[in-house]
Amino acid sequence: MQLEKSKGYKKVIKWLKQHKKKPFKFQTDAWLYYAEGYSGLINAPTGFGKTFSIFLAVVIDELNADLSSAASTAAVKKKGSQIQQKRKSGLKLIWITPLRSLAKDLARAMREVCEQLELDWHIGVRNGDTPQNEKLKQKKQMPEVLIITPESIHLLLAQKSTFNYFDQLQCIVADEWHELLGSKRGVMTELAISRIRGLLIDQHPERLLRIWGISATIGNLEQAMDVLVPYDEVLKTIIKSDVEKKIEIRSILPDHIDMLPWAGHLGHKLAHKLLPIIHKSKTTLIFTNTRGQAELWYQTLLAQDENLAGQLAIHHGSIDYELRNWIEEAIHTGVLKAVVCTSSLDLGVDFKPVDTVIQIGSPKGVARFLQRAGRSGHSPYETSKIYFLPTHALELVEAAAIKEAARTQDIESREPIVMSFDALIQYLVTLAVGDGFDDEKIFFEIKQTHAFRELLPQEWKWIMQFITTGGDSLTAYNEFKKVSKDEDGLWKVKSRQIAMRHRLHIGTIVSDAMLKVKYLTGGYVGMIEESFISRMKPGSSFTLAGRVLEFIMVKEMMVLVRKSKMKQAISPSWMGGRISLSANLGSILRKKYNETLNKTHGEEELDFILPLFERQAKVSHVPKSDEFLIELINTKDGYHFFAYPFEGRQVHEIMAALIAYRLGRIKPISFSIAMNDYGFELLSEQPIPLDEAHIKALFTPVNLSEDIVASINATEMARRKFRDIACISGLVFQGYPGKYVANKHLQSSAGLFFSVFSDYDKHNLLLRQAYDEAFYQQIEEPRLAAALKRIQESKIIIVKTDRYTPLCFPIKVDSLRDSMSSEELSHRIERMTAESEKTAQVKKKNNRRKDDH
Amino acid sequence: MIIDCKGEQFILNKERAIFWVAKKMLIISDLHIGKSAHFRRSGIQVPDTVGLTDLHRLTSLMKEFEPDTLLVTGDMFHNNINSDANAFVDWRRGYPHLKIVLIKGNHDALKNEDYEALNIEVHTKELLCAPFRFIHDQPVERDEYYNICGHIHPGVVLYGKARQQLKFPCFYFGQHCAILPAFSVFTGLKILKPQEGDRFYALTLHKVIEVKRIR
Repeated sequence: MQLEKSKGYKKVIKWLKQHKKKPFKFQTDAWLYYAEGYSGLINAPTGFGKTFSIFLAVVIDELNADLSSAASTAAVKKKGSQIQQKRKSGLKLIWITPLRSLAKDLARAMREVCEQLELDWHIGVRNGDTPQNEKLKQKKQMPEVLIITPESIHLLLAQKSTFNYFDQLQCIVADEWHELLGSKRGVMTELAISRIRGLLIDQHPERLLRIWGISATIGNLEQAMDVLVPYDEVLKTIIKSDVEKKIEIRSILPDHIDMLPWAGHLGHKLAHKLLPIIHKSKTTLIFTNTRGQAELWYQTLLAQDENLAGQLAIHHGSIDYELRNWIEEAIHTGVLKAVVCTSSLDLGVDFKPVDTVIQIGSPKGVARFLQRAGRSGHSPYETSKIYFLPTHALELVEAAAIKEAARTQDIESREPIVMSFDALIQYLVTLAVGDGFDDEKIFFEIKQTHAFRELLPQEWKWIMQFITTGGDSLTAYNEFKKVSKDEDGLWKVKSRQIAMRHRLHIGTIVSDAMLKVKYLTGGYVGMIEESFISRMKPGSSFTLAGRVLEFIMVKEMMVLVRKSKMKQAISPSWMGGRISLSANLGSILRKKYNETLNKTHGEEELDFILPLFERQAKVSHVPKSDEFLIELINTKDGYHFFAYPFEGRQVHEIMAALIAYRLGRIKPISFSIAMNDYGFELLSEQPIPLDEAHIKALFTPVNLSEDIVASINATEMARRKFRDIACISGLVFQGYPGKYVANKHLQSSAGLFFSVFSDYDKHNLLLRQAYDEAFYQQIEEPRLAAALKRIQESKIIIVKTDRYTPLCFPIKVDSLRDSMSSEELSHRIERMTAESEKTAQVKKKNNRRKDDH
Repeated sequence: MIIDCKGEQFILNKERAIFWVAKKMLIISDLHIGKSAHFRRSGIQVPDTVGLTDLHRLTSLMKEFEPDTLLVTGDMFHNNINSDANAFVDWRRGYPHLKIVLIKGNHDALKNEDYEALNIEVHTKELLCAPFRFIHDQPVERDEYYNICGHIHPGVVLYGKARQQLKFPCFYFGQHCAILPAFSVFTGLKILKPQEGDRFYALTLHKVIEVKRIR
């Protein structure tokens, strides 16, 4: 039967017509492919009904199945039989979303469709915000559609008799797949799908389970599909929309270049320029890169224009759920003029009134910038408008680079994560907490996933040992208790405490311990990191959710506050990863540096920044794309070595460690290392043993692998990576955000485990993973090698000066630092104590100290 | 390193112990025997060797100082008797004449008969031994006794020029109290903020170093 002629298809078309809508070609394509049993990936810009492409496909299938079974029942009825053959109710579609905030709106849209098509479906939501009674209801009777986060699926798998849930399942959808791909949550999604598919094959081998992803444009769509649907025997396809979203990008320029700081993350001087934009738009979303910045900008805008009070809101991940809900609701109804937000509003949700987007500071990647731009002008054929507000001068060059990348659709790839042993360990314990698992079956399943395709039998054996006996037999793990084999031959967790702790722990988003913030008089404001509040004194004030709050005390893992009389206060800085400039943007950036000085461009941003470049050229040098600039600067802080490869923070981190390591081989020396997206700094209190004639030898790609391994060993990089790994694999229990579990006696830290395993259990796979992550995830060796090769072919320019240059300034002030030393520890200590004595005396004299933070 | 504390001679050892020369007393704190096994029982993978290393270190201290008394200022055991604690029982048999005194800490939850079986003299709150008071956590009230305690696992950060810093476990000697580092290697650090007149002794792999001034 042709789909177009089917009753379900006609019904949907008719319904769309009633609403004066016509499906896009990519939507009907999706329906056709779905009907033919395909899985795959859908790629379309936001605002074009990506959701409906696949959701309606499932609906059409259901309507057709319904009608055909009704027909056959009628036929059967003639014969006098009473058998009902209608498809059973139960979970038919699992819809995975990365963000909780997406679920509510999706559910609303889907419910509307079902109502109007008279389809008796329940649409359920399940995530961290779902109330307990709702979850219990779902347990008794699963809704037909379940909108869920990857973490919540794993929680579902951690329950007993899970297999019943998936009996009627037709399709699994991973929404915003580009966002999950490239993170460990993507690995969680892969694992969950592999298990649900396995359960279904066990019970209904004849059944076809379709797996679909929905993704924004990224550089590696093919691979994205293969990660989501790795099964050879499944038919799969990529459906791309042919419609293009128009995007208009404008930079907000100061009146004079001196108004922009060279470094630093403010740019508040430009705040007044936002007001006219906000006023002439219906609703404006203002994106900042961190929660701390969002708080600051909220304050700044209010201070600039008091009329905005009540019309300006702030939205980020640490604001209380109720409050966030209210804000999202208010954006929908259009009562808000503007919302200052973070990536918390990056994705999916249709906010119809939003017609303007402002990006504050570099978005660091083309894909993210376009995604954010897409938040405005949400309906098809409308133009998305995005303004870019630079927070320091050099970001203007980034703006020009992003414009070019957007024009040429040069969009970066998201690299999927593989061999994440921590996620695998967590998954296995999850299954053991649930119905238990058969190791042969699960090994077979995970070997099919993209993430663990390369898993070796001996690695699998080690992982099984790790969760059953604690570790390999070389290292004794007496009394270890976690997963053990039950009488029915399945591996299970028997201890209720361990099971409970594990359930609380599922998830891969690792953060510092978070505390809930609550008014003394009642009412939650949001969450805050324990490390921030531990530095606060009672009576002092901070801002959260745009409010100035006075800290009273911490009681039972709750931060009690009252409204402060102060107008301004410090904003908390939430930790969390820094985003690195993508390789794409890096290379375009290098080109733009050329163009700025040569004036071979048509971009106002580059014209504007020219004076700064001329200043850089005067005190130092502006590197052209065939040059490699090194600045040697000697100040009272010490000896600085700045290098500018323009490869992005992640590459620089490794490269800096590598160069520090190689310099350290010439002479024992200690470095403090800093980097940003343009370059890196090595800082030492001793002269740097640099052979200027042979600087290329320092950057040679020869012996790269060995030197990188050695330099990673010498820094804290692997130790830092281990923080996440220890949490995910269950070594460190950090408690559930806002929920206090009395586990003091099991408290420890990732750093401690890192040392313990390094000292006593060197073969630990989690340890190896930490080094692998530091190495491979940071960059692939080829990318670093390519960068070094480029440097080899470049002309080396060495500039010596005693003043900071415009280029080096942003790196110098970066507070995130690493260190490396080839000196003997006792030497360092003696010198450091001697020095601090001196500085203490100097400080007493000066009696003034700049506060870094 | 030898220091003077209220007129008494203390030897600070890099293995996180104080030897009180006059009393032939070895003082340590926060031994946390059984912590690693406690973790293992709860499904967290900590190798046995962690607990055994602590006992080996204790043995070498016994050889070096040959003390009459071993004084533990709290958290000797981590919650209950388990395989790690059994290793300690064996260790105890090797030193039948050693007097062991324990001032109970928040983790010391063994039964009385367990302590008796191990021949450990237990003080629930404190032990006064002029001019010192041995106690697990430092008291708020001040009196004529100088407090020697443990509990918080003190650490110190050294800052150097060119933005360098290093972190170590340490002995702390303040105006009214001294704090011992945690003896067990399987413990974290709490970084202390120095006050005027405080003395810090950082513990590196090879020796004890006095840190005179910290930022």
